[in-house]
Amino acid sequence: MDYIYSILTLTGITMIGVMGTYMVTGLTGQFSFGQAAFMAVGGYVSAMLALRFNLPFPLAAIAGSAAAMLAGLLVGVPTVRLRRDYISLVTFGFGEAIISVLNNSAQLTGGAEGLVNIPKRVDLPLVLGSVIGCLLLVACYKNSKYGRQCLALRSDELAARSMGIDVNRLKLVTFLFASAITGYAGVLYAFYAQYLEPGYFNWTVSAEWLIIVFVGGINSLTGAMVSALILSSLPELLRFASAWRIIIYCVIVLIIINYRPNGIFGDWEISRLWKKSAKGEKA
Amino acid sequence: MNAPDQATPSSGHLEVTGLCKAFGGVQAVNGFSFDAKPGEIVGIIGPNGAGKTTAFNLVTGVYTPDSGSVVLDGVALGGQRQDEIARQGVGRTFQNIRLFKGLNVLENVMTASDPYADYNFLAAVLSLPAKRRSDRQAAEKAREYLDLVGLRGLEDDRPEALPYGLQRKLELARALALRPKVILLDEPAAGLNPSEVREFIDLVKRLHERFNFTIVFIEHRMEVVMNLSHKLFVMSFGKLLASGAPEAVRRNPEVIEAYIGEEE
Repeated sequence: MDYIYSILTLTGITMIGVMGTYMVTGLTGQFSFGQAAFMAVGGYVSAMLALRFNLPFPLAAIAGSAAAMLAGLLVGVPTVRLRRDYISLVTFGFGEAIISVLNNSAQLTGGAEGLVNIPKRVDLPLVLGSVIGCLLLVACYKNSKYGRQCLALRSDELAARSMGIDVNRLKLVTFLFASAITGYAGVLYAFYAQYLEPGYFNWTVSAEWLIIVFVGGINSLTGAMVSALILSSLPELLRFASAWRIIIYCVIVLIIINYRPNGIFGDWEISRLWKKSAKGEKA
Repeated sequence: MNAPDQATPSSGHLEVTGLCKAFGGVQAVNGFSFDAKPGEIVGIIGPNGAGKTTAFNLVTGVYTPDSGSVVLDGVALGGQRQDEIARQGVGRTFQNIRLFKGLNVLENVMTASDPYADYNFLAAVLSLPAKRRSDRQAAEKAREYLDLVGLRGLEDDRPEALPYGLQRKLELARALALRPKVILLDEPAAGLNPSEVREFIDLVKRLHERFNFTIVFIEHRMEVVMNLSHKLFVMSFGKLLASGAPEAVRRNPEVIEAYIGEEE
């Protein structure tokens, strides 16, 4: 039972991380190869505040998300002006730089040995509540003028600017929001695992989140969440196959991308179900 | 919703003087000037490669002019960002239709009024009443624009799935949602069949009557040019070749040689 609990908890945390990637990649079409670094910032900042200053968990959580957002500002301001391919390079470099800093400031962060003795403040119900809460925020964001303008600029930046859309500002706002959400995922992870090490947040995690978003459907939050649920619990469920599980995982991803190039859900959202039924009633 | 629904007859005065733009060694636009008085319909014609679309791109801020000025109702637009120029009331459509894939027909129109929507980030993520009210009004308005161009009932369709002629109309509806004082149409009748062209001419006349905005359009089809424009500017090799009333311009020997003569 404990085992299933821990899989569910970690899957929930991954889902929140994936929401950040979904916003940056799905909504604005930028490739963030360093998204996990914001998770590291959120996790480390909140954990260190709790350990060194005895900050209560809720305050530490807010501080962690805010710090991730600040890091997002640092990367976002120069990158939103760049072309898409350069953005992936810059975010990738930034992510790896954060890992280096964490590794090399051992006195503060514990370095490669990790940060230990973080109090346990996070359990499954809190994670599930957080998933639902964050999901609502992100879904509302997508369904507002912000989301619409993001999808417009992703499709055609020049036309978006001609419709009065301040492209750079929207990209930045979305990037900051995504950083804060991802940072919050890091907070949850830190106070659940009670242990942080820099290696957990390197680019392979960011890449995995990108894979999840693409498999789910690049333009579908529903898809991203379903795909996060499946793909992040899959390696655990396939544990019986030991060494083969990574291969099975890769094959599944390849099959999906090959036969559904727009991802499983394309741009379908579950909210269309009740939107449609509401319209049916009116008619 | 802070911008007025209708342009007042006194706004929408576009003055473009001495516009120049070079790309490398190619002088695409070379001292081109034109003006459109409030409520006027102005046509720009000229052979392919004359720099007409570049002139539009200079007016709307896609490119920065090397020299020359663009003034709308006494405010200089030169040096402003593309989106700032758009929000000051310069709407446009594109020669090779540029609709937003990933958004449905209704949302495509709504995006052009979204920059005016006055709710903030917090209202958006919490879906506060102010946000819902604003979005509902924007959707209503967008439906009205779709209705005007004849796209009622297609709100939920994908823009790329629409027939070509309807995509042109959708671009027009989207430009209306920006509540423009001046609307720039880049070859709006390209690719339309003869009956669609006639329908299009009527549509533009109807919209012009309803909204009273200034229209500047680039077009090759003489039927459209002669039927719509109050005033005509002829562009050739980046320069102004002739201007004036459509009939006078049509009889101008220089123009016939540079442009109209080619077709015969």
